[in-house]
Amino acid sequence: MTVPDQIAGPLEDWVIEQRWFASKARDVASANVLETIELSAAPALRLEVVETRFHTGTHELYQLLPGDPEGVRVLAELLGAEASVGCVSFFGGVTPTGHVRSMGADQSNTSIVFGEEQVLKVFRRIEPGENPELEMLRFLSHRGFENVARLTGWYEYSGERMEATLGILQEFVSQSRDGWQLALDDPEGLLARIPELGVATARMHNILATDASDSAFAPEEPSEEALSLLTATIDEQIERGFLDLPAGDERVEPIAGRGEEVRDRLQMLSHVGVGGRLIRNHGDYHLGQTMLTGERWVILDFEGEPARSLRDRRRKRSPLRDVAGMLRSFAYAASASELLRGVPAPAGWEDRARAGYLDAYLDTIEPFLLPAGRSAIEKLLAIFELEKAVYELHYELNNRPEWVRIPVAGIHRLLEEEVSHP
Amino acid sequence: MHPTHWFESDPLWFKTAVFYEIHLRGFFDGTGDGHGDFRGLIEKLDYLQWLGVDCIWLLPMYDSPGRDGGYDIGDFYSVHEDYGTIEDVRAFIDAAHERGMRVIADLVMNHTSNEHAWFQEARSDPDSPKRDWYVWSGDPTRYADARIIFIDSESSNWTWDDKAGAYFWHRFFHHQPDLNYDNPEVREAMLDVLRFWLELGLDGFRLDAVPYLFEREGTNCENLEETHDFLKAVRAIVDDEFPDRVLLAEANQWPADVVEYFGDGDECHMAFNFPVMPRMFMAVRREEAAPILEILAQTPHIPRNCQWGLFLRNHDELTLEMVTDEERDYMYAEYAKDPRMKLNLGIRRRLAPLLDNGRDEIELMTAILFSLPGSPVLYYGDEIAMGDNVYLGDRDGVRTPMQWTGDRNGGFSRADFAQLYAPPLMDPVYGYQAVNVEAQLRTPTSLLRWLRRFIALRKEHPVFGVGTFEALTPGNPKIFASIRTYEDDVVLCVHNLARSAQAVELDLSWYAGRRPVEMFGRSRFPKLGQLPYLLTLAPRGFFWFRLEEDEEQ
Repeated sequence: MTVPDQIAGPLEDWVIEQRWFASKARDVASANVLETIELSAAPALRLEVVETRFHTGTHELYQLLPGDPEGVRVLAELLGAEASVGCVSFFGGVTPTGHVRSMGADQSNTSIVFGEEQVLKVFRRIEPGENPELEMLRFLSHRGFENVARLTGWYEYSGERMEATLGILQEFVSQSRDGWQLALDDPEGLLARIPELGVATARMHNILATDASDSAFAPEEPSEEALSLLTATIDEQIERGFLDLPAGDERVEPIAGRGEEVRDRLQMLSHVGVGGRLIRNHGDYHLGQTMLTGERWVILDFEGEPARSLRDRRRKRSPLRDVAGMLRSFAYAASASELLRGVPAPAGWEDRARAGYLDAYLDTIEPFLLPAGRSAIEKLLAIFELEKAVYELHYELNNRPEWVRIPVAGIHRLLEEEVSHP
Repeated sequence: MHPTHWFESDPLWFKTAVFYEIHLRGFFDGTGDGHGDFRGLIEKLDYLQWLGVDCIWLLPMYDSPGRDGGYDIGDFYSVHEDYGTIEDVRAFIDAAHERGMRVIADLVMNHTSNEHAWFQEARSDPDSPKRDWYVWSGDPTRYADARIIFIDSESSNWTWDDKAGAYFWHRFFHHQPDLNYDNPEVREAMLDVLRFWLELGLDGFRLDAVPYLFEREGTNCENLEETHDFLKAVRAIVDDEFPDRVLLAEANQWPADVVEYFGDGDECHMAFNFPVMPRMFMAVRREEAAPILEILAQTPHIPRNCQWGLFLRNHDELTLEMVTDEERDYMYAEYAKDPRMKLNLGIRRRLAPLLDNGRDEIELMTAILFSLPGSPVLYYGDEIAMGDNVYLGDRDGVRTPMQWTGDRNGGFSRADFAQLYAPPLMDPVYGYQAVNVEAQLRTPTSLLRWLRRFIALRKEHPVFGVGTFEALTPGNPKIFASIRTYEDDVVLCVHNLARSAQAVELDLSWYAGRRPVEMFGRSRFPKLGQLPYLLTLAPRGFFWFRLEEDEEQ
């Protein structure tokens, strides 16, 4: 699973097997190369736009890079030269060098590390418009945000078919451990650094809300129906999620048959005044997207949730949605310790992590970005946590049955909590 | 910026799109002056995106004296001051595109306002270079075979102008002089107007009143060959200079005449299917599928790269021009019991009041609309079953402020009530305290929430936009059923027009071995075989099925 792609057998079968392939294999009717751009003859490297068509007649586009194994250097040189080949253009002027290694598979992309200094992320699904990762990294890098790996280049497709970001180059964060591994290896050590993460998150949000002149980033006041639109959307996700719950499964027993209760709970939470601002945000924020170096946290992967469309991932939302993502991640880490290592997390670890993170975040965030008052903040957070847990439930049921208990516990806890009335 | 910046290039995007028609003045007031405007509309884009709208259709937003809802354009190059500025339009189009929604706008090519500078110049002097931009005559009996469209308010298509010392030609109101398309300068001027707005980012136009561009003695001055030739020239220029745009013809004509506006796929991309709409209302009232089946049988095939625009209601009266006298009498008797509800040859009411606010009827009619070949066009407010106000003049009764919340002015405007362009509905059934977006968003079983799910479902299946259509003719005449097919997707839609539960046997032996899976709830029904397939439907009920190849064999 690296670049260049080594395609064996029928294209359709090969594409379906890739981790970055977004849709279900059984829906695929065919896969075809729509366009080939020869990036280099020797070593050989081609860029292919591949269309997968589905039985209902819809389609998706993907970027493939077949070629000789050493062809990956071609990308490095084109980025350094800010070259254009056909309708593909490269930017940045930095030529990554050194030992090349693959970072392994990801849900939406393939990453290659050059000399432990630069990392090239090749986006696989091609969607029209600027990829949020490029937009966000550029915005945060230019404004001196310290907790990010600087953007050093990118390449894009700009032809009749569409305009789309194909990949980005950024500094590689070496000598670091990701927050998720740390939570499992050294939960107490992580706990000591969690307030810093809260501060970094708040700073990121503060910076993302600074530019009123850039329409892609300008903070917006939520419209009258913003909260109703949000809760209506989540309500439908809950309804669908509970329809799909397996019957008689003891793992989901604490919440089985309680879909209506969860929806009622959502209704109660949504009785909260509109307030704060909608801003661009990380979009898929959890411990696995953070790295701790000696002195600082680095926040990674600004692509947003891979299952959502690009335009959905670019949407402005309350910054509390990121916060909720991180809080859910603490819940996962606490349970994963038992699941993966057979060691229970230290007593009260999740609660202490939550408190440490939230306190630091709320002390640093610009208050105007959040709804007014702690009660309103907590309700909106709970709404986002519920949204996340429902998404997790769906994901785990389909992908990791042994993890189902984690979102179930999250939803269950929400059902048992007191709702404060303002 | 690349015009397709947020879209994958697709010259046929309109075939699978859901359109949403907006009366800008009535949608949302962002400036607090009592009139809806572009700044307000930008604030509501998230709502439209949530609903699943693919393309917004704006009624005319141009500078205008406003004597015909903006269809009397005073300047093609500026925006009515109540709505904002050209910059506001640009910001709105960009914001819509960013959310994956396209925007088309009304364009009136046939005529201008009599206050337009072109007309003022033309009437001032017989030697003016603009004189020949309009149609003049000393004799008001020319073109006597052309009918009068606004029969309630106009007595002739000619009106005397003292200053000009001549009669001028107008197919609509007497303050809307027709442009003279025999003059190449007029044709060129109109192309420049189109270019201006397409360059600004508009994704196309709904071409208002296109059948009337040219006049020829001895004809009814409608659908003339010259008109088609001009539209083809427009299409060629748009295709050449502005990819992925759409021209939607408003030609309220019989099917055989309307299809002419598609040309050979080289004229308008879309045209409204006017005749099918009144037949749907007749079918639901008569509880039989025949009126729909008859008009579908009369509707000719259209080129592959073209599409019908389908609607239940719009900003005009429910037009009854394209029905027989007998059918019109029936429609008036059933749907316009109060004479105030009639206007010209039509009924000026909204969808919900026409259907006695019946939720089942609204869902059924929407389902039939969504199942027919074409792209559905929704009218603002109908998604929450808004009502109308027959006490307002002309067509203003179906253009009242959008009802967003139960608060003051229905959440439409922060202005004083007296400042509003029209009073919001306040009656106990349709008033904003009973019917509003906020309440329906919060109610999982509301029409609004249902419609969103239905739109999402339709969009998962391109078959509804691009698939083949085959009407079934079951023994039970109260059932309207059809099969749609595209690539591997086969869909069966069955609708019960009756007020009572019905059983129907469908001959689906062609699809024997496939299994119907109900599309909303994904329930699996018994497999199809060689024998007639029995279905029972609730009163006004409907089923949509995917006919799936059964995997368990």
